[in-house]
Amino acid sequence: MNNRLDSINSGNEVRIIKVNTTGKLMQKLLDMGFISGAVIEVVREAPLYDPMELKIHNYNISLRKSEARLIEVETV
Amino acid sequence: MSKIKVALAGQPNCGKSTIFNLVSGIDQHIANYPGVTVDKKTGKFKYDEHKIEMVDLPGTYSFSSYSLEERVAKEFIINENPDVIVNVIDASNLKRHLYLTFQLLEIGIPVVVVLNMMDVARRRDIVIDSKKISEMLGCSVVEASGAKGLGGTDIMKAIVQTSKNKDKYEDFSINYEELEPHINNIQNSIKSTSSTLNKRWMAIKVLEGDTTIIEYLEKEFSNIKQLAKLQEDKFHSLHDKDTTSFLATFRYDSADIIYHKAIDEKNKGKETLTDKVDKFVLNRWLALPILFGIMFLIYELSIVGGYKLTDYTWPILASIKNFVIDISPEPYLATVPMVTDFAIWMINSANALINYVPIFFILFSLIAIMEDVGYMPRMAFILDRVFKKFGLHGQSTLPLVLGGAMVGGCAVPGIMATKGIADDRARMATILTVPYMNCLAKVPFYTLLLGAFFKPDMALMMFFISTATIFTALIVAKILTSTFLKTRETAPFVMELPPYHLPTFKGVILSAVHRVWIYIYKVLTIVLAVAIVLFAMLQFPGIDENSQKKYDKQLEVGLAKFDKKVKKSKYYESVDTKDEIAELLNYYSGYKSKRMVASGKEGAIAVDLKYKTINENYFKFIKPKRDKDAKIINRSLRKLAKVRNRILRNIKNEKVENSILGMAGKSIEPITKYAGFDWKINVAFLSSFAARESAVATLGSLYENGKADSQRAEDAMAQNSGYTPLHATAIIIFMLLTPPCIATMIVVKMQTNSYRWMLFAIFFPVFLGVLIASSIFTFGSLNNWSGLDAMMYFYIAVATIALAIGLFPSKTINWKGGLRIKT
Repeated sequence: MNNRLDSINSGNEVRIIKVNTTGKLMQKLLDMGFISGAVIEVVREAPLYDPMELKIHNYNISLRKSEARLIEVETV
Repeated sequence: MSKIKVALAGQPNCGKSTIFNLVSGIDQHIANYPGVTVDKKTGKFKYDEHKIEMVDLPGTYSFSSYSLEERVAKEFIINENPDVIVNVIDASNLKRHLYLTFQLLEIGIPVVVVLNMMDVARRRDIVIDSKKISEMLGCSVVEASGAKGLGGTDIMKAIVQTSKNKDKYEDFSINYEELEPHINNIQNSIKSTSSTLNKRWMAIKVLEGDTTIIEYLEKEFSNIKQLAKLQEDKFHSLHDKDTTSFLATFRYDSADIIYHKAIDEKNKGKETLTDKVDKFVLNRWLALPILFGIMFLIYELSIVGGYKLTDYTWPILASIKNFVIDISPEPYLATVPMVTDFAIWMINSANALINYVPIFFILFSLIAIMEDVGYMPRMAFILDRVFKKFGLHGQSTLPLVLGGAMVGGCAVPGIMATKGIADDRARMATILTVPYMNCLAKVPFYTLLLGAFFKPDMALMMFFISTATIFTALIVAKILTSTFLKTRETAPFVMELPPYHLPTFKGVILSAVHRVWIYIYKVLTIVLAVAIVLFAMLQFPGIDENSQKKYDKQLEVGLAKFDKKVKKSKYYESVDTKDEIAELLNYYSGYKSKRMVASGKEGAIAVDLKYKTINENYFKFIKPKRDKDAKIINRSLRKLAKVRNRILRNIKNEKVENSILGMAGKSIEPITKYAGFDWKINVAFLSSFAARESAVATLGSLYENGKADSQRAEDAMAQNSGYTPLHATAIIIFMLLTPPCIATMIVVKMQTNSYRWMLFAIFFPVFLGVLIASSIFTFGSLNNWSGLDAMMYFYIAVATIALAIGLFPSKTINWKGGLRIKT
């Protein structure tokens, strides 16, 4: 099984393999650039460990870990 | 002169509103889109013999139909059919912004691309070949920097140019390769449509499952949903891909092509200024102290600083009030004309609310600055984990702080600040919990009760009051989101952390002025309408004949005494008729009240001088100095004034007791007695609905005994009410939970767009307040708790429940499928 985005430590870069969701969340993630093959850098976790800050397509975005868990990734 | 209709589109944080302010000038019209609470900004202006109407669409990352903003933006395009779409994009973050650009180009309306924030891009050594982008996309591309005020003319020129050459416009289309046959299929089935919209665009939108377009087409083609499903399934079985993710990937790839061909980023991967600042602002150990520091600063500047500012603005309001009193008919002995009563009531109600305008202005300016800088989403990022537990959102922080999470605030700006919360359920929960915070106007009420019943423990009680509100608000949020709001739509927490930007002065001021104006406008209309109703409910049916006779007699006795005494004075002639005495009494009380508000020695002298010129003869009686005969009148006059005031007060109290509101207060006594409230408290709560300030005024006047004029309100209450501290605790707890004032109700109505939620926001807290106050009071009486005990138990209870909810692990099920055999 592939890694899930929520388990990646800060400072690491990963590539998206697949996003396992549908409907509204899927569309939102697609619109924000979470497409297969996109490279994500995990920037940091929030002070209370959730959500997490990511860098994708050269901009910063935050995701709750519950959503990050739906994204399958591989290390670059 | 030709008319050009322009739609301004762009992703959030692209600086769209600075561009809008740059080109459209001051003449802006702000309204809501029909039926929703999304702002619609329209600017109408002339440029070069052209009438321009520019509409600022809500910022959207995409042009699908999942969020309210996207639906609103799309409906505008469908219904209003603009001539030109201006797409503002952030030059320093081109790729993601171009994703939207491709969607806009596909609509089939000519697009002008504005590369905003060119200065930021240059600073970061990003070289952009805008000519090349223009060639590749087949549209004008203008370089601009809204914050620096550059590019306005170029944008207008491009709009006019594009609109002039509209006829030569050739449809823009992306070749979607393997999806093409499916697009053509749908396009063929809707060929016969009467719509003027681009058919290929509609076909693509249908394949994306766009609800707005599907509903739009369903009127003509009832089977459009099945057609779309058929094509999507076919595509899926042929290529093992979903149409939505295929389209999104395709557009991102197209944006990538432009990015690689027209942009040279020399410092790619290098730390930007935003990255450096975020190392501190979002640091694990520093983030929370910085956040609390900023919150504290906002609170200090707006609530504390603004309150000091009201010291300077209050005299203006007071002079308006005095003016209204001056032009109203004067009272005659113990008869006050109803018009005068009414005028004073109305001006008091309006002043109590207008008084907050300086606070709001500072507050709204600071909020606008935080929004423009980009701190808001970071605040949400830092605190989301806490709020998530209670069904709220990281973005609930600011509304709760403004509402008064720190000792005192106001629910009106708090609720108005909920606008940006993307998650509808959390937004509703925030709107409905902000009124539980400590509003500034509740503070005098607490002070009155604490002064009367908790003198030694005032500080501790105040601590309980100010922190218990946060716990109760969180618990209420949890209750609401897991019951009444359970079915509300939630939005995924997918939130951009935009680069920091300096705010523009014009943008901040425009935003603050707009929000303050909404407040003033509402106060002047609805609040005053409710004040009229309350006035009537406090006035009618008035006192009965017997009482009136009783008071008339008291007055006669007072007048006779006065007459007897002043006969000895040589000035008797000037005070020997009723009319003269009435005039003198008004002169005396007018002087006293003016003298009370006069500041310093010079002020006092000025008042003296003014009254001397009005009537020199009467002035002698007020300041007799060595004149023995004047002294006689002065002494008797003071006595008579006291008698008159007592009569007026008694009439007022009897009126309140007999009034509709008084009867209402009495009729609910059977329920409220469990909380220890008598009808007087009930009336105070009912009348406080107009503005919280009046609760103190009502209670104060109801408990004055009229004998000792020097007695302070809290002492009078402690002595004359017959309450114990336990009563006071029940009252305080009820006040913590009571419904918001009408000003707040109006913003609840505005933000929820529903009267039903407004009514809910009134009655749910009342229900909760009665329930909790009653149980505390009843248990407390049974167990002989002191007032402080009762407050402590209440506090411990809410703190424990809130912590329990906060620490209870909440796991959500994120999987589905498998084999589940029903037996």
